[in-house]
Amino acid sequence: MRIVVGEGSCGVASGAKKTEAALAALLAERGGAAGDGSYSGITLEKAGCVGNCYLEPVVDVYGDDGGLAARYVRATEERAADILAGTADDLLISDEDAAFLSQQRRIVLRNAGLINPEKIEEYIAAGGYEALRKALTQMTPEEVIEEVKVAGLRGRGGAGFPTWFKWDAARNADAGGGAKYMVCNADEGDPGAFMDRSVLEGDPHAVLEGMAIGGYAIGAHEGVIYVRAEYPLAITRLEIAIAQAEEKGVLGKDIFGTGYDFSIRIKAGAGAFVCGEETALIASLEGERGMPRLKPPFPAQKGFWKQPTNINNVETFANVPFVIREGGAAFAAYGTEKSKGTKVFALAGKIAKGGLVEVPMGLPLRDVIFGIGGGIKAGRAFKAVQMGGPSGGCIPAALADTPVDYESITQTGAIVGSGGMIVMDEDTCMVDMARYFLDFTRKESCGKCNYCRVGTKRMLEILERITLGEGRDGDIELLEELAGKIKDGSLCGLGQTAPNPVLTTIRYFRNEYEDHIYNKHCTAHYCKALVTYAITDACVGCTKCARNCPTGAISGEVKKPHGIDQAKCVKCGKCEENCAFGAVLRD
Amino acid sequence: MASINVTIDGKQVSVNSGATLLDAARAAGVDIPTLCYDERTEIYGSCGLCVVEVEGNPKLVKACSTVAADGNVVHTDTARVIESRKTMLELLLSNHVGDCRPPCVQACPAHTDCQGYVGLMALGKTREALELIKEKIPLPASIGRVCPHPCEQECRRGLVEEPVAIAYIKRFCGDWALGLQPGADAGGRQDAAPTNGIAADNECRGGLQPPADSGKSVGIVGAGPYGLSLAYFLRRMGHAVTVYEAMPHAGGMLRYGIPEYRLPKAVVDAEAAGIEAMGVTFRYGTKVGAPEAGGGTVTLDELRGAHDAVCLGIGAWVSTGTGADGEDLPGVVGGIDFLREVVQADGIPDFRGKNVAVVGGGNTAMDACRTAVRLGAENVYNIYRRTKAEMPADLIEIEEAEEEGVVFKNLTNPIRYEAGADGRVCRAVLQVMELGEPDASGRRSPVPVEGKTETIDVDTVILAVGQAVDAAGIAADLELTRKGGVAYDSATFRTSLPGVFCGGDCGNDKISIAVEAIADAKHSSGVIDAFLRGEDAPYRAPYIVERTDVTERTFEDRERECRPPMGVLAPDVRKGSFDEVVAGWTEADAAKEGARCLECGCGDFFECRLYRYANEYDVKPERFAGAYSVSPDDAATLNPSDDGHPFIVREEGKCILCGLCVRVCEEVCGVSALGLVGRGFDTAVKPEMEKPLAESGCVACGQCVAACPTGALQERLPLAKSVPLETEKREAVCEFCGAGCRLVIEECAGLFVKANPARTEDGRLGPICVLGKFGYGTGGAESAGGRLVLRSVAGMPPLHGGGGADPLAAVKAKAASLGSVSFEDAFRTIGEAYRAQGV
Repeated sequence: MRIVVGEGSCGVASGAKKTEAALAALLAERGGAAGDGSYSGITLEKAGCVGNCYLEPVVDVYGDDGGLAARYVRATEERAADILAGTADDLLISDEDAAFLSQQRRIVLRNAGLINPEKIEEYIAAGGYEALRKALTQMTPEEVIEEVKVAGLRGRGGAGFPTWFKWDAARNADAGGGAKYMVCNADEGDPGAFMDRSVLEGDPHAVLEGMAIGGYAIGAHEGVIYVRAEYPLAITRLEIAIAQAEEKGVLGKDIFGTGYDFSIRIKAGAGAFVCGEETALIASLEGERGMPRLKPPFPAQKGFWKQPTNINNVETFANVPFVIREGGAAFAAYGTEKSKGTKVFALAGKIAKGGLVEVPMGLPLRDVIFGIGGGIKAGRAFKAVQMGGPSGGCIPAALADTPVDYESITQTGAIVGSGGMIVMDEDTCMVDMARYFLDFTRKESCGKCNYCRVGTKRMLEILERITLGEGRDGDIELLEELAGKIKDGSLCGLGQTAPNPVLTTIRYFRNEYEDHIYNKHCTAHYCKALVTYAITDACVGCTKCARNCPTGAISGEVKKPHGIDQAKCVKCGKCEENCAFGAVLRD
Repeated sequence: MASINVTIDGKQVSVNSGATLLDAARAAGVDIPTLCYDERTEIYGSCGLCVVEVEGNPKLVKACSTVAADGNVVHTDTARVIESRKTMLELLLSNHVGDCRPPCVQACPAHTDCQGYVGLMALGKTREALELIKEKIPLPASIGRVCPHPCEQECRRGLVEEPVAIAYIKRFCGDWALGLQPGADAGGRQDAAPTNGIAADNECRGGLQPPADSGKSVGIVGAGPYGLSLAYFLRRMGHAVTVYEAMPHAGGMLRYGIPEYRLPKAVVDAEAAGIEAMGVTFRYGTKVGAPEAGGGTVTLDELRGAHDAVCLGIGAWVSTGTGADGEDLPGVVGGIDFLREVVQADGIPDFRGKNVAVVGGGNTAMDACRTAVRLGAENVYNIYRRTKAEMPADLIEIEEAEEEGVVFKNLTNPIRYEAGADGRVCRAVLQVMELGEPDASGRRSPVPVEGKTETIDVDTVILAVGQAVDAAGIAADLELTRKGGVAYDSATFRTSLPGVFCGGDCGNDKISIAVEAIADAKHSSGVIDAFLRGEDAPYRAPYIVERTDVTERTFEDRERECRPPMGVLAPDVRKGSFDEVVAGWTEADAAKEGARCLECGCGDFFECRLYRYANEYDVKPERFAGAYSVSPDDAATLNPSDDGHPFIVREEGKCILCGLCVRVCEEVCGVSALGLVGRGFDTAVKPEMEKPLAESGCVACGQCVAACPTGALQERLPLAKSVPLETEKREAVCEFCGAGCRLVIEECAGLFVKANPARTEDGRLGPICVLGKFGYGTGGAESAGGRLVLRSVAGMPPLHGGGGADPLAAVKAKAASLGSVSFEDAFRTIGEAYRAQGV
């Protein structure tokens, strides 16, 4: 029997390490500890996240036949004994939650949560490094690129640029006798996005293998993973994976005896969002301030140390072993005409089942949010989803049937981006949402382009005043004007996309902007400055609201309807929270 | 290299392949603005100002970084391009903290460069100070005496103790030009100063020379401050000018509305004579208008026939009253009428033993009061319905009137005037007032105290409460305002009649102070000049960034220092005489006073590209008003980012993050003393490790200062009074070492102001080091004959300032605090240079 505890960052945060310790202690009590996590007949392993982040900690129990015997969810340390005793049936994953996984098609996440990321043997047992062997021993670099072209793999970092094209450009670039570089962009910075982290934590070898294949294709012998320092677990597992891969000879000199050398090192980034932009990333790799520069020259011509450099995202690399091993056609069997394969999405926000999902491209948004994600928390109504993080845009409920592929999503004004999906319900104020994302990008602007540096700040100020009820006639038009000019006048993707959340919310929720500006009213009853609380006839005079009001704004006699002194009210919402009779009206 | 053809704004140009659109535009002579481009550094592309449209490309492209393709058709002046550039500039300016111009200049209606001439005065450059004044004020001796000086109102020296006496300095310069000596210092002026206005102007920049005859002629109606000034400006532009004046002498209200003791007629005459000497024709006793409508001697149509343009500046010569009963009685006269009659009748009437009441609280009322005193009146009452604090007259006028015995009956308002047996006014009944609630203008409005009146005996009542324009008789078809003034467009100065312009008190119901009329003259002269050339160039007030955060606290550390004393006639002496009350200053006093200037305006005003573009693109940054990245709220000092570097002043509030300083320091100088810090809106340029610049690796070559497009990095000027001055530039070869770097030397008034690297043949800024950049201002060298020479070199006069044999002593001393500056090489080569010259 094998017991596997999910220890991605999400699991660890939910107490998975404690669960593992409890299990280990109990097993040790039984005796037979072998010191390597195996006990008499039972092995205790860890794995990455399987994707049901909302159910962590997750403990899987595999039978002796290797098949999954039981999956326990919310398996906290207190229940460790029950799990071992087989008396934790109440923790068994429900059919509905199991469907969260069964509805997915997992290529990138094929090993996540299933294998121990710290043991290369498990990766190899799952078919790992076979693709690299195949590429090195049976294919020319051109054939590798051709296979990726057949697969139709597009960059998963956000822009969706065809991967083969970049590889081809880097392959054909003149290195002037110097080196070429293969760089992995693991600077995942979108708020609410954790696809890359999960892959690095759960299946680091998939990325290493993808990089090595790519390195072979473009003629590079050195790879660098630029990973944000805020991902310590990912960095640790990458370090372990690189060491193990070198030991196994799948990285380093003369891989598989083919004479091909490829080594990988890690560079921890200091966490600037803009360093996800490839020219800024290169600057940062070189020890410079992370600021984008003009393109051309593209990195494929002049990148790291001015040498031809190819940069792909973690998820892109994780797809590559599958493409090479199974063939491009197998990958292209999934998805739509122009968007092939699967895509990992991070479901967050007001979604019932938050976590990572991987689905074929082209699945309608509705199927992702309702089918897999279980719809909206607490039975509220679905209002919109922010796709593509702060660079993306919002897609309203009315467009829920939009297929999730690059072209269709772009048409809505949003972008697929790196795959963040932040779901919003009817209580979300769209102006405030736009304000939130713009606040993020304007803080993360590198400060180079004037339009981005000053323009986003001015847009933010306008949004702030609108949410404070100080919006002016003409503000929407001013936002639109600035948005257009910032997109036009910024060098890099950050500035060119920063206005998107504002533009899409104006496009789909202009009425909310107008409501704030002209009626001094927040449609979603969210913006504090515009909200008023009142007590309705439903009040029974229980006095609970008055007792909980921090400013003494509520008064009234026992068993008689209470009232709120608006002058004293600080709009903290305590009364609404505490009212058991639904008698507090927020407007 | 292969060449390609590009069309830019319709101009075909052939450039080498690989050239950018910016290169191509420059080759085609098309100006594309940039703020972050420098030929010496890698293309950066941050400012976004160089955007252009290329046919076939839906996006705007940056000209600095876009490689031209054969057949490109480029447009640099489309609405979209201009809009994008304009908004970019507006965003930059919405985060720009500074004073492009000092408050004094901004406060002056004519935007006279007060700071400039005050500074030149402090530097002992009287002639140049005068020249600078005359760029805007052709009548400095007159205006220096009578102007209520809004400049001084705003002067920040007032936050320390009292404002710089800008008007007195102006008067000194004006007097100096006229050869007038202040009593105390009759022989004070040493150099060969001209002794009359004509000569002074001859020698002044833009005086008589050039005016190359334009072949156009202008008729100006009225020889007041507007007409005289306009004549001066238009004549300087080469136009033939004739001034038609109804009165027998020039000066208008300066002559007929201001008493002799404040502005002697001789001063007005001398200044008018200077203008006449420039070739302006004066026709006195000539009134314009239809003969039947008031006895005009020449019609407007006749003038329009005789000149290419006609300008109306007839002033506002009608006295108005308060509407009290009995204003039409004999003995009740208008204020300006009274003053005019006194001038014309040479001191008559005789007020000895009489009671005179003057109604009104402005300068005209004070002039009338004090004139009445001088005419011998027994009692002079000033009747004003508010308190002294609300009087619009200058404080000094009120004080001096009081000293002369004028009785102020504040908080009274005439209800009626009563006649005596002879039918003349003999009594004034006054309503007693009190101050009520503040009105819209913030002034507390007077309200009658019910039933409370006061009666005074009077022999004469002078109504100095207001003026009006009498323009009805000029021409029947000339459009007038509702109040009877001439109606004209405030930007084009055009009246309803083609070719007829207007300015000063007579138009648009804006009766104001003389300098306002002179401002009109300056602004309309440009418009009229353009009109004469068949062009349309409406006046537009320049866009200026100003600080509003400066308070007393800002200057807490300044030493208090009052103005030099000004000689004034004692009250008993002046009461009986029309002699000028204020004596005027000596040159030494004026220079000493100039030194009090706090140097508020931006030192880089004359070379700031942001300012230039802002005005070219007619920006309106107010629409983006918001927070500043460098907060101006903490105005504990005027420039908190000045970190004490001996040669370079940083001013972060003016930084536009073009990154040129950082890039030039790294890529050109190989030093990296400056870097970018922070992210987003708060990104800033800071010296390395955020320490003071002097503690960085800075080698003080000043390349960053030369590259900075704004005033964010400036030289510490080697001037005792560091005010922004327009400089004259010439090239020279640096003599400090054998490298022979070419420099652009900037001088003003014969003073070395700054040195910058010259451009090399390929248009790049050349090399420079601490010696070339900063060595010349420290007494190490002086310019002579177009070349810079070390003064200790054989055959040259001895070194001044530093003394001794080391010509670098001064710069060395200043650079002592900089760890990174080495003089080793320079010394060696200089030694070699000396040996080569046999020193």
